[in-house]
Amino acid sequence: MEKQTITIGLPRALLYYRYYALWRTFFQELGIEVAVSTPTDRDILDRGTALAIDEACLSLKIYLGHVAALVGKCDYILVPRVSNFGRHRNMCTRFESTPDLVRSVFRDSGQSFLSYEVDEEQKKTEEDAFLDLGKRLGCPPKAVKRAYKQAKKAEAAHHKARVQRYEQQYKRDGLKVLIAAHSYVMEDPYMGRPVTDYLKRVGVIPLRADMVDRDGALKKGRELSPTCKWEISREILGGIAMHRDDVDGIILLSAFPCGPDAMVNELIARRVKGVPMLNLVLDSQSGTAGVETRLESFIDIIRFQEGKL
Amino acid sequence: MAEVKTRKVAFPRYAEYSCAFKYIVEQALGCKYVMPPALTKRTMELGTKYSPDFVCTPFKTMLGSIIEALEAGADTLMMTHGLCRLGYYGELLEQILRDLGYQFDFINLSEYDMSKKKEYIRIVRRFNPKVNYARFLVQFMEGLRMTEYVDEITAEYYKGCGFDASGGQYKRAYQDFLTAMYTAQGRADVEAGYRAAKRSLQSIPLDKPQRPLRVGILGEFYTAMDAFSNLELEQKLADMGVEVHRWMNVTNQFLRYGSGQKNLRVKIQDLSQYDMGPTSTANIWYARECAERGYDGLVHIKSSGCTPEIDVMPVLQTISTDYKIPVLYLTYDAQTSDVGLMTRLEAFYDMIDMRKKVL
Repeated sequence: MEKQTITIGLPRALLYYRYYALWRTFFQELGIEVAVSTPTDRDILDRGTALAIDEACLSLKIYLGHVAALVGKCDYILVPRVSNFGRHRNMCTRFESTPDLVRSVFRDSGQSFLSYEVDEEQKKTEEDAFLDLGKRLGCPPKAVKRAYKQAKKAEAAHHKARVQRYEQQYKRDGLKVLIAAHSYVMEDPYMGRPVTDYLKRVGVIPLRADMVDRDGALKKGRELSPTCKWEISREILGGIAMHRDDVDGIILLSAFPCGPDAMVNELIARRVKGVPMLNLVLDSQSGTAGVETRLESFIDIIRFQEGKL
Repeated sequence: MAEVKTRKVAFPRYAEYSCAFKYIVEQALGCKYVMPPALTKRTMELGTKYSPDFVCTPFKTMLGSIIEALEAGADTLMMTHGLCRLGYYGELLEQILRDLGYQFDFINLSEYDMSKKKEYIRIVRRFNPKVNYARFLVQFMEGLRMTEYVDEITAEYYKGCGFDASGGQYKRAYQDFLTAMYTAQGRADVEAGYRAAKRSLQSIPLDKPQRPLRVGILGEFYTAMDAFSNLELEQKLADMGVEVHRWMNVTNQFLRYGSGQKNLRVKIQDLSQYDMGPTSTANIWYARECAERGYDGLVHIKSSGCTPEIDVMPVLQTISTDYKIPVLYLTYDAQTSDVGLMTRLEAFYDMIDMRKKVL
């Protein structure tokens, strides 16, 4: 019997930036092809904006644009539900709703979607979720188990390598700015990328609060905010707690109107004192001039304070 | 042994549940309750002034109400845990209040692991170390019963009050009931108040047509239930001559379905495979239920920036298309005006009224 290859679409937005090493390795190990949508451009943003409820956050709008770009081009599109990894380790409720939300929005498209559920407070672990996912794709359990193991290894190695790269940056000479943002904001060509590009252009070293050892950051984050309940926010809080003394300034970068950031960033601004801080909220602007003006004045302030202007 | 000072406890105003908070704090915990003043424009101004810009509106309302409670003499504040951003309200509220210079003791349920029974005893002890546990349990249950009565009478009131033919007796009966609950000192008071209200609401003649317009209210757990926050939407609709229904309340969401809403999800499997947020399953189920029962319209209420409710909207749109039931989506923020709401409600009413006559 001829074995048909399945293609799974991965929208390049939201959790993709956190999990792409895991997802890609897992599917690769199982001989399943992966199609990733192209990096965000104006067209993707516009399509997503048209599909979303207008009050939704910019990140979700971009996500829907990426899903739309994949519709009809793959057998399944992966839309997981990631609720929590235990108590006080929640994701934003948006990651609980995406599978059903996407199904409702693309109801008439004929596209099939694939989901897995991580909800450790309900005893649904990531491992079980992936084993079940592999089973539904018709792969033998043993192979799935091995694939998940490999994928977890690849994920850990990938993150570790990135963390090490950033740790090197701290040793460099020059003005360093720590950016606190979700990875899907930070790495998106329409959100965080223009910010880092600009900083590099003016000779500033951009660093990332979330590029730290995750377990250590979760614990360290407690010092800044004992009841913070969001996993990613806790990692960022931990990153700030670890590196606040190594940098010249902090940029709190969020997508409008990010629920967790609206509260956590307020708390950071109230608790982290003695280091210049810029609160930058991104919406779907058509140009980068506004953002660059604010960054420029922020960098000027830092340089002025340090007597280098 | 040092004398234990009686705490003066406050919790922000919340719909008509403040009577139950008061009852539980005073009768079960043996503390004093400081009733925050009724919510007003000043409350909102205070809350908005000190809140981050795009936090959800209930945060601003609660912050304003807490400041007013502190001004009224409270020395102990309590904040709940929660499944959405509500779970982080406590820590940020406390930080903002401390930065402003207020002094108080803060009991934040997010600091406790609420899945463990032992933690509840720790919390009760913090309120009052000398608490009598037998009395606590009995009176706590009575407080919950009061909550159920408030929900039951409120639901009955909004179904009927638009058709009161007696010139205001119906509303007076409801207000008398609330007064009885806010002043109850024991089980006898609660029961008497409830019975009197039940009797009045049933005996006052209503001038209700055979097939009145029926509208279902659903949405976010705070704004959909708090009359001040939704600018008395239910009363306004009822006054136009509409039978107003709302499933969402503390009784249904927590006391009856506290341990998961699996049985509600059975009927909406095709629309929602998972819980999309703390109230999504109930809201989607109720929307379909209203549609299947032939209601004339739905009103979906949320505060600005409420992530879970924004995410439910695409599913509600699907229900609206499938069942051809009109849905009015309302977003409330600190600036929403009475006049603007009235215009939209009148247009909605005219539309469902015309549809009823044609269909």
